[in-house]
Amino acid sequence: MPAGVATLQGPELCYGFVNEAMETVLGGPAPEGTPIAKHPGFLAADLLDVMQRVYQSGRPFIAKAYCLALPGPDSPNRYYDLTLEPFRNTDDVISGLLLFAVDVTAQEEARQQAHRLEVETRRLDTRLRVLTETVPQITFTVDAKGHYEYVSPQWYYFTGQPPTAAVDAIWPLLIHPDDRLRVLYQSEAARAAGTGWSYEYRLRRHDGQYRWLLSRALPEQLHTPGEPVFWHGALTEIHDQRELTEALRRGEAELRFLADSIPELIWTATAEGFIDYYNRHTGEYTGLTQQELGPTGWINLLAPNEQAEAARQWVHSMATGEAFEGVFRMRRHDGQYRWHIIRARQLADGQGLRWFGACTDADDQHRLREVLQTQYNELARTNHDLDTFVYTASHDLRQPLINLRGLFEELARVASFDDPQANSMLHMVEDALAQLELTIQDLAATVQDQRGLSAPAERLDLRSIADEILLGLRAQFVQAGATLEFDLDEAPTLHYGRANLRSILHNLLSNALKFAHPERPAHIRVRSYLQQGQPVLSVQDNGLGMVVPSPHSPGFRPFTRQHTHVPGAGVGMYLVQRILTSRGGHLEVESTLGEGTTFTVHWAA
Amino acid sequence: MHHIAYISRAVRPLTDEDLHDLLTQCRRDNERHHITGILFYSHGNIAQLFEGEPEKLEPLFARISRDGRHSHVQKLIDKPVAARSFSDWSMAFHPLEPAAFETLQGFLLPHHVPAPPSSLTIADAMLIDLVRLAVFGGATPPQAPAPTASLDPA
Repeated sequence: MPAGVATLQGPELCYGFVNEAMETVLGGPAPEGTPIAKHPGFLAADLLDVMQRVYQSGRPFIAKAYCLALPGPDSPNRYYDLTLEPFRNTDDVISGLLLFAVDVTAQEEARQQAHRLEVETRRLDTRLRVLTETVPQITFTVDAKGHYEYVSPQWYYFTGQPPTAAVDAIWPLLIHPDDRLRVLYQSEAARAAGTGWSYEYRLRRHDGQYRWLLSRALPEQLHTPGEPVFWHGALTEIHDQRELTEALRRGEAELRFLADSIPELIWTATAEGFIDYYNRHTGEYTGLTQQELGPTGWINLLAPNEQAEAARQWVHSMATGEAFEGVFRMRRHDGQYRWHIIRARQLADGQGLRWFGACTDADDQHRLREVLQTQYNELARTNHDLDTFVYTASHDLRQPLINLRGLFEELARVASFDDPQANSMLHMVEDALAQLELTIQDLAATVQDQRGLSAPAERLDLRSIADEILLGLRAQFVQAGATLEFDLDEAPTLHYGRANLRSILHNLLSNALKFAHPERPAHIRVRSYLQQGQPVLSVQDNGLGMVVPSPHSPGFRPFTRQHTHVPGAGVGMYLVQRILTSRGGHLEVESTLGEGTTFTVHWAA
Repeated sequence: MHHIAYISRAVRPLTDEDLHDLLTQCRRDNERHHITGILFYSHGNIAQLFEGEPEKLEPLFARISRDGRHSHVQKLIDKPVAARSFSDWSMAFHPLEPAAFETLQGFLLPHHVPAPPSSLTIADAMLIDLVRLAVFGGATPPQAPAPTASLDPA
């Protein structure tokens, strides 16, 4: 676009020569001789005023980037450099103005754009600075040679270095000696290759402690060729995360090691119930890998008839969160099924829900229990058979015996014997029959008492039990002309099985009466007292006495009799001893032949 | 014959329209490749078990893994099976407008899903029960085994 030129003549500044370009500026042809004030075109009043001043002062003026608002809807503002140059006539008197108009719209728009950009850049720069200096990270800019162009204030806070510190020289010295060479090499290699980096190292903090940092940097994406390249990056402190991760990793490794060391099947499952870990022993036991077992394959290891129930129970546990527990047969690698107790519980913590389970081999216990159960059943049956046998035997024996006695008495009454020995023989037969009856009775009693050994204990009054027994022994009592002396005040009651206590008291008292000395009336003293806090019963008589091999373990055997002239089966004391032993007590005997015997019953051990 | 099961998470919740499109498209594709099975969907949880010839199954799973509509695809099983257990391919989910789906082939309401077919091993049937539980939660107890014709292997 050529420059617009116009001459304005005289103090009125009348148009002279006006070229085409200037006519565009003026908005149409300017009639020659018309004062500019009459036909200003698009020129504003202030410019006309300035023209007058230039005319009067004779000093030229350039209005730079003068804006002309051209009319029309789509004609934008245009900018002109307007030069006002006075010219003089031959008398050196100013006679007019030369007006030049150079279109500088393009330049002006570029300038304005540049200005806007600069303002925006400054705003962004401020924002970036605020951001970089606010974030906890240390930010930096480094060039290809390793020279730090910029380091954010956080670096100084962290390291405790003064603002005047020479960053380039000091930074490497603050890196942990074990990491230094690696860091210098890695950063230099990245800068040489023109790539970014991301590595971790320890940097010394202001307090002298080395802290783990993550260093990440990238080279400038848009850089002018030939200009130096810069890397911008940030350092993030990751010390706590690293320590935590390390602790977690170590904890996990230790747990794995622990689980792998246990000779049990240990496993974990996800919240959904899919097994995601089996310990080493599981692999050894099943002979299958984790892949082969899969998330639900453990079901296949169970005995076929137990699979459905186990699956139902597992799904139920997943739905409700209830612990899983059951006893199942699990197949070993060799095909043998072994009983296992399978237990699993859920753990809910910050890491979400997980299930932890174990299968304990209970096969040996299970089999042992089965064997014991079988033996127990056999014993119980044998015992029962024995009871039946003894009962049947005593019952079946007694009836013929009664018949025999009846017949014998009848015979003794009606028959007469010539032999003078006959009478004593009759007595001997009678005695033998009585003896036989007693033996049968005692045998039956023994069996019955055996049954009562495990009877429940209750609080019993010794005196009332003793009175009941004495009622039954009244005949013997009268026959022996006995006197009884009770001294039960110290321990009047006893916690014991009723039948057992009756049996013990009965045997002790009847023995004392049975073995009374024929030359003096029997005197029996019954005492109940405490010895070292434990109840003790003693029964003392003044009877025949006996030979005691060892007072603390008298060792009564069944059918052993010391006084053969006294009727009895020899089972009484054996029974007493059995009852006491089975309930944790024991019996002591002190005796002097011809003077008397003292039985001391220690109820508890 | 192989079968594959996986669970995954939808990237964004699926609308009725999404589910409708998925159902019709999968049924068409699966029918062509003789793939049968069942898909569960609820609140962004997805689980699917499908069965077919391995040469059809592998590319299908590869395509599923790459599908951008879901993530966290976790394959649970991928193994040979003795026989097909599902007669067709169906989907179970809770649409907002169940009426629009009622007549649609292959659509099931979650509480109408029958118990796993008895032709599956107990371990595989339990797997289906567990993924159903994981997708729908504990509110829909498994139905009593229903020997309906549609469940028997074809």
